[in-house]
Amino acid sequence: MSSLKDLQDSFQRGILAGDDAILGEVNDSATEPRTVLFGVYRYAYVARLAEILGEDYEQVHGYLGDAGFAKLVKAYIDANPSDQRNARWYGRHLPAFARANAPFANHPEVGEIAALEKALTDAFDGPDAPTLSITTLAAIPAEDWPRLTFQPHPTVIRLSFDTNAAEIWSALKEEAHPPKPIRLPEPQALVVWRQEFLARFRPLPAEEAMMWNEAAKGVRFDVLCEMVATFAGEDDAELRAATYLKNWVDSGLLAGCQVETG
Amino acid sequence: MSDHKPPYLGFGLGLRPQHYQEILQGSPAVDWFEVLSENYMVPGGQPLHILDQICERYPVVMHGVSLSIASTAPLDMDYLGALKTLAERVNPKWISDHLCWTGVHGVNLHDLLPVPYTQEALDHVVDRVSQVQDVLGRRLTLENVSSYVTFGQSEMTEWEFVSEVANRADCWLLFDVNNVYVSAFNHGFSTDAFLQGVPRDRVVQFHVAGHSHEEGHIVDTHDHPVCDEVWDFYREAVTHFGPVSTMIERDDNIPPLTELVAELDHARDIARKVRERAQLAAAE
Repeated sequence: MSSLKDLQDSFQRGILAGDDAILGEVNDSATEPRTVLFGVYRYAYVARLAEILGEDYEQVHGYLGDAGFAKLVKAYIDANPSDQRNARWYGRHLPAFARANAPFANHPEVGEIAALEKALTDAFDGPDAPTLSITTLAAIPAEDWPRLTFQPHPTVIRLSFDTNAAEIWSALKEEAHPPKPIRLPEPQALVVWRQEFLARFRPLPAEEAMMWNEAAKGVRFDVLCEMVATFAGEDDAELRAATYLKNWVDSGLLAGCQVETG
Repeated sequence: MSDHKPPYLGFGLGLRPQHYQEILQGSPAVDWFEVLSENYMVPGGQPLHILDQICERYPVVMHGVSLSIASTAPLDMDYLGALKTLAERVNPKWISDHLCWTGVHGVNLHDLLPVPYTQEALDHVVDRVSQVQDVLGRRLTLENVSSYVTFGQSEMTEWEFVSEVANRADCWLLFDVNNVYVSAFNHGFSTDAFLQGVPRDRVVQFHVAGHSHEEGHIVDTHDHPVCDEVWDFYREAVTHFGPVSTMIERDDNIPPLTELVAELDHARDIARKVRERAQLAAAE
């Protein structure tokens, strides 16, 4: 008689690797042979993980169609037995998997659509934090502004896409015909975050993306203004920086700010 | 650890995201909700925000799928810690999971896998339940699962195994009416033998659910309305166990809330008639 440990090892191999040794441990029923009965577990394993991935990557599914998505899902499941207690995180490697493995790697928009979906899901149930209000910001004395630093909301995720994946995602979400995939002349910066319990994203123009990246590192407002001036000219640089900042506050991209001391 | 048997809660439903707004905007005739623990073991956002609101309005119980109590892999203390943290937030009437295992060697198969009914497995599960109860600081509630295979090495019936676990580990039982029906069909045992075989005073909750008939076996899919045969067995369970907190469990093909409330009303109706019949018999 196998020990419980050996039995579970064999059972798991029977599901993951198609090893039939477990069939020596299980019984036929009065109505079904053991192959059919154990087959319920084999089928359920793949079906359940495919269902999880289908829920997590609805627009990737829409883009690839049933057959293409099934191919991606099967390849992912074969390569990635779940190591997570919570099914919520089973599909977290799918964007990287699609980017790294043919034939999906030859269609870089697939991995990027997946990356956007993953980021939206992560933002949706990411950590709670207060958002910086315009009232709080307005109450800061003018002389302190140069030394202001900013904290991004913890749900913020920055992405950079080589293709028009964001545009494709939006069309699919609206159930419209998606545009043809193209490689963009310059990478597209995107920011994903949660506002009022909804996960959102928007493209960032190059200058705003630069300022965001630096602000997120804790760079002071006066330095940010200098960087903006260097990026696209000194005229109205402070106004441009302040406008970006106001938009971030209005849309809940920031959790707080501090006046740097010392 | 609390010594008291959890309270009778009446008739509840599983909390599903499709029904969030309807539940919070209306007052559906639901006495309590069962929440899937893993759905709320997330950092933040809307799921936990909604859960907080539900907890303010309804009694809640927590139901997990990943405890893997019968696994020979070490207990996952990170998972248990997260479960305990969620329990501190929810203050559930009880915490349940399944009498099964879900994987070994760091793998989770996301399925409720069957246990051989051996002395070795019994000792192992009893020890693990005790450890989990120590961590959680409360008794665990364990649910019988639907199964599709039996093991040649089993030394006792499922209900003997379940009863021994409950008595020796001093935990509660969630009696899944549908799962007993499914396993009885698949393995050719009597639902009545199971019913009579588990300790009455340990049962704190019923699950009632639908399933799918294949050619020579039934699969516990939880994606159909409850069928007449399961309602009949529910009637027998209520007759045998008396009032037990009852929940309709639907995991797939989630219908409108009104449809589930109607199924719940059917359960209420069955329980009421059983009670009235018992009162009549007692009066005679």
